Amino acid sequence: MSTNVKAVFAHIDALINGIHLVKAAGYSDRLVVSTPMPRHDVEHAIYPEGRPSPVRWWTLAGGMAGATFGVLVSSLTSIDWPMAIPGGKPVVSFPPEVVIMFECMVLWGGLATLLGLIYHCRLPSFGLAVELSDPRYSNDHFGILVQGVDPKAQAELKDILEGVGAIEVVAGGATESANA
Amino acid sequence: MSSLTYAAVTREVIRPMFKPTVLWLGALGMALSALALGGYSWYTQLSQGLGAAGYKPPVMWGVYITTFVFWIGIGHAGTLISAILYLLRAPWRTGVYRASEAMTIFAVMTAGLFPILHAGRCWYAYWLFPYPNQRELWPNFKSPLVWDVFAISTYATISTVFFFIGLVPDIASVRDSSRGIIRKVYNILCLGWRGTDNQWRHFMAAYGFFAALATPLVLSVHSVVSWDFAMAQTAGWHSTIFPPYFVAGAIFSGCAMVLTLLIPMRLLFDWDEFLNMWHFERLAQMCLLTGNILFYAYMIELFIAWYSDNPYEWGIFYYRPTGDYWWVYWMMFTCNCVIPQLWWFKKIRTNLFWLFGISIVINIGMWFERFNIIASSLAHMFDPGAWVYYLPNHIEIGILIGSFGWFSMWFLLFVKLMPSVAIAEIKEAMIPPLLSEEKAA
Repeated sequence: MSTNVKAVFAHIDALINGIHLVKAAGYSDRLVVSTPMPRHDVEHAIYPEGRPSPVRWWTLAGGMAGATFGVLVSSLTSIDWPMAIPGGKPVVSFPPEVVIMFECMVLWGGLATLLGLIYHCRLPSFGLAVELSDPRYSNDHFGILVQGVDPKAQAELKDILEGVGAIEVVAGGATESANA
Repeated sequence: MSSLTYAAVTREVIRPMFKPTVLWLGALGMALSALALGGYSWYTQLSQGLGAAGYKPPVMWGVYITTFVFWIGIGHAGTLISAILYLLRAPWRTGVYRASEAMTIFAVMTAGLFPILHAGRCWYAYWLFPYPNQRELWPNFKSPLVWDVFAISTYATISTVFFFIGLVPDIASVRDSSRGIIRKVYNILCLGWRGTDNQWRHFMAAYGFFAALATPLVLSVHSVVSWDFAMAQTAGWHSTIFPPYFVAGAIFSGCAMVLTLLIPMRLLFDWDEFLNMWHFERLAQMCLLTGNILFYAYMIELFIAWYSDNPYEWGIFYYRPTGDYWWVYWMMFTCNCVIPQLWWFKKIRTNLFWLFGISIVINIGMWFERFNIIASSLAHMFDPGAWVYYLPNHIEIGILIGSFGWFSMWFLLFVKLMPSVAIAEIKEAMIPPLLSEEKAA
């Protein structure tokens, strides 16, 4: 049965070195890093080639759908009840519709971004691995959780993490499914 | 901020939460009393009809619309600080943005009451929303009032979401440093946020997009509000200068309101580390910039009215500073164009007393600016036989005072229930603890 190994760090450079070494030991896809704030250096250590968040596609889709909706709702309702206004004013007139289009684009784009964020962050995230709910991680400590470690490799991984400067390394506990 | 550690930031920001002090209770009591006065005035207006308010035809837009524009304007500085300065990577934003954003939400919530109050029969307020009525007629999407409904509801929704998203990691910090029922409630509020690398990656992307969406939004909202006036053919309103003029005025009044709220907050919570003179001076400079754009707008408006040789246009612009409403005009001019110039002097700009005092003066001036635009134009329209002198009566003043009570109540509850400084962002801006340095030392 595989187990999880959790390491707690008090220093950012130790954490980053730890990430590199854990990845080098072959756990790239079983690694969860917890930090109290976002940090680019941590993200670069995990994804050296960069990995843009797919949330952007949600924003794009929502924004385009909203803009389309804005134009359609304002033109189709005008066509539905055409008012013959003297002076040659068009029934469907684009300039005033830009306002509705823009506001719908922002509203739908924003709400789609929210949905994308909730979906990709797996929020609400109440069912994460128990090791991740460490109150220090939102305060002043950083953490690495390696999931599904072979018990035979545990000692080796523990040595790596302690050697790099972790202040606490805990191994053990049955693996829960953690998809964070 | 170099002397602080991460743990100290969390501790210091959370320290004033959940502990009502005598001063806080007193302030809340004052806010609730003001709100009660507003509630009573509204009750009177509901039971007696809109005639109870001091409308004097043709002045059917009076204090309610004035105060609506005032509060919407206040909201703009919060979004400017949270979104535009985020995209511009202005470092001074970090300490002040959370409270400014809260101010935005509560100001929009306050502004949102006024179309309902103004509509009189508030139970028909849903008529404002675009849906086909029983004759399958839709609202006229070419009307600026419909644009306003779209703009304000989008602004309220997006700024609330933006505010909440920013709060999530900080609510998690509150959860982790508390126990019992607070811990459980805040765990639900932060949706079980854990700060994993995956969560932060998507969070940062989404936050950037929200800032990018909110930036043009904030500029559009007050432009649309200004079109409520500029699209009408009323002299004094029908002007292409209105959108930039209103947006500058909104940011001017909003930054002043941020100063009005943050200076007492810093003193009461002893937050010199997070809110210091550096932040206040930047806010004062922002007021100076936007205030002078406004000053320019006032001047160019007068010049164009004279230069256009249009008798109606010149009629209203001559009437404003010299007619019945001369005191409103000069109040506006003194508070918005003259007194803030004192902030050119660094000594005044870096003195808490002057910062606070001038910010209050600007708030007063900006309310009078909207009153000057709205009331004077309607009271002095094309037909001299219909000229009137409109002044708000006690019902309208009561509701105006009530709106300040409503706004203050929410802000006071916010500072005790939520972290009013962005914990995660302060930490992001700090130098992190390094093992290599510790070893070297």
